[in-house]
Amino acid sequence: MTDFEMIICRCEEVTYGELIKTAEEFNCTARELKLRTRAGMGYCGGRTCRPMVDKAARGPEISKDTEITLKYQPPLRPISFGRLGGKEK
Amino acid sequence: MSGRITDHPVLGKLPETRFVTFSFNNQEYEGAEGDSIAAALLANGIRTLRYHEESGSPRGIYCNIGHCFECRVTVDGEPGVRACLTPVKEGMTVESSGKLPSPVRDWRPEND
Amino acid sequence: MTDVIVIGAGPAGLSAAAVAAEKGLNVLVIDEYMKPGGRLLGQLYEEPDGSWWNGIEESAKLFNRAAEAGVTIKLQTPVNNIETTADGIWSVYTEEETFVTRHLLIATGAAEAPVPVPGWTLPGVMSVGAAQVMTNVHRVKPGNRGVIIGINVLSAAIAMELKLAGVEVASLSLPGKNSMTEESADPRKVLNSLLHVSHMAPSPLVRFGSRFLQNDIMKKLGVSFFPKNGVKMWDIPVQLRKAVIEIYGENEVEGVVMANVTSDGEVIKGTEERITADFVCIAGGLYPLAELAAVAGCPFYLIDELGGYVPLHNEQMETTLKGLYVAGNITGIEGAKVAAAQGTTAGLTIARNSGIHGLVKEIQLAIQSIKQTRDNASIQFHPEVKKGREIIQEKWEEHARALEGTGSEVTSEAEAGG
Repeated sequence: MTDFEMIICRCEEVTYGELIKTAEEFNCTARELKLRTRAGMGYCGGRTCRPMVDKAARGPEISKDTEITLKYQPPLRPISFGRLGGKEK
Repeated sequence: MSGRITDHPVLGKLPETRFVTFSFNNQEYEGAEGDSIAAALLANGIRTLRYHEESGSPRGIYCNIGHCFECRVTVDGEPGVRACLTPVKEGMTVESSGKLPSPVRDWRPEND
Repeated sequence: MTDVIVIGAGPAGLSAAAVAAEKGLNVLVIDEYMKPGGRLLGQLYEEPDGSWWNGIEESAKLFNRAAEAGVTIKLQTPVNNIETTADGIWSVYTEEETFVTRHLLIATGAAEAPVPVPGWTLPGVMSVGAAQVMTNVHRVKPGNRGVIIGINVLSAAIAMELKLAGVEVASLSLPGKNSMTEESADPRKVLNSLLHVSHMAPSPLVRFGSRFLQNDIMKKLGVSFFPKNGVKMWDIPVQLRKAVIEIYGENEVEGVVMANVTSDGEVIKGTEERITADFVCIAGGLYPLAELAAVAGCPFYLIDELGGYVPLHNEQMETTLKGLYVAGNITGIEGAKVAAAQGTTAGLTIARNSGIHGLVKEIQLAIQSIKQTRDNASIQFHPEVKKGREIIQEKWEEHARALEGTGSEVTSEAEAGG
């Protein structure tokens, strides 16, 4: 296996090649890279690949320096619909 | 159970613990009470906890403290339970999930 | 309503909870793990004075102190979201219940940043912290023979812990160079960062490296002359001139492909060799796990010296949001003792902000104690951590000045109590 085929986002199986190629082709910021490739959008919420997606990103850093490049959204842990609906454990 | 560190030069001997019986993919195993499901399975030599939904590639624990969700299994019918954070209990049924039947088509033109 | 809620039962969270409860507040601690202690649980190393720092014992001490002070500890309870309402009440959402408080401390610690290596999704590949927890907390061997990818203070310490538990570590080596591994794949930068923590770094490496420390040219020479088979530390080869370029195995880890690298970390073609192993550890370092502070709306700064994005906070552990505090590795990557000292400070600040008088002096001493603990630390994850702390302090002061300029209320309640 080469670096190109190496997985970066384990949840969505997005490879190093896809990320580097996309970042180059579209001059992507981290957020755009995430939206284009789905890297960081899987089950874990991007907790594992977040630092690597940041490193793959290029292009103008449009966000203010007081904000995180890749936004966090609740729920921070997956919740089943059953549990949301009040089902007891 | 060969995987256990029974004697440790600094941490000492492993305290006496009660063993419980649980099942993983319909096979019975013993685990020390208080062990996480992941630790109990590893002590039995089992590393593969699930298969990726899309590619079917095998996965095991990665972070071991609940951050990465790679160890998620189905416990007593409840899916998405982290094996690294859940203690084994007597009679517990643990199942790994596998590749889903209808994969997503790669829609990008370069992959036609 | 609980007076104080603490998210995270590590050294910072438990210390804060104990202090706040000892001042008479009722405190609830929430953590998603099965045991209290957080990352402290897995730690095991020899202090410079020859005594052992045993994370399990230290966690038990912190837990007992908190329990004796009347703290309620809810384990196995993941927090999904936190939210504030206009009247200064914080809601903490978990699967089962929603808790409310006026004073919320986030002490969620750190997450591991990976260095990616082809094949790293195979079962048997785990973060170096995962191997530490498996070995020291669960007392189950992560495998019989392992390879650690990524040479840093954390991975060197854990390599020693594996060895202590009777697990063979075949090699501590670099990851292959690509745009994501960067510094961690550069032999010179790795050697340099290890030598900055000389009192902790594997001593044979220091003995070897210190001869070359004087200037940049010598440092380069140091890497050039670095023995191809590495320098042994506790019998584990530390291989600064070798990189793992692939992890192989049919369904689980069977071994790694290693190659020699130049002093810049470029792979030398034709030097590839296969090393058998049944487990592999990935060691890319730690970054502050700040997701809850982010959803709460804290401003963040990217400070490399602190390990990544940290929420804006002051020395008393207050954030810019009323009633929201942070302590421990969420504020920057440091050892457990610094985290505990920050927790103590946060606990006192919360007590003062809850209307308990006469704490000003005690808070000042607690802040001093954080600095002393930092100065005496035998492990320093980032050599420039003090600079990182200064940057965040400057940002706080800028923020406070900006608020004064607009006439807004300054969140810090420093003058309110006393």
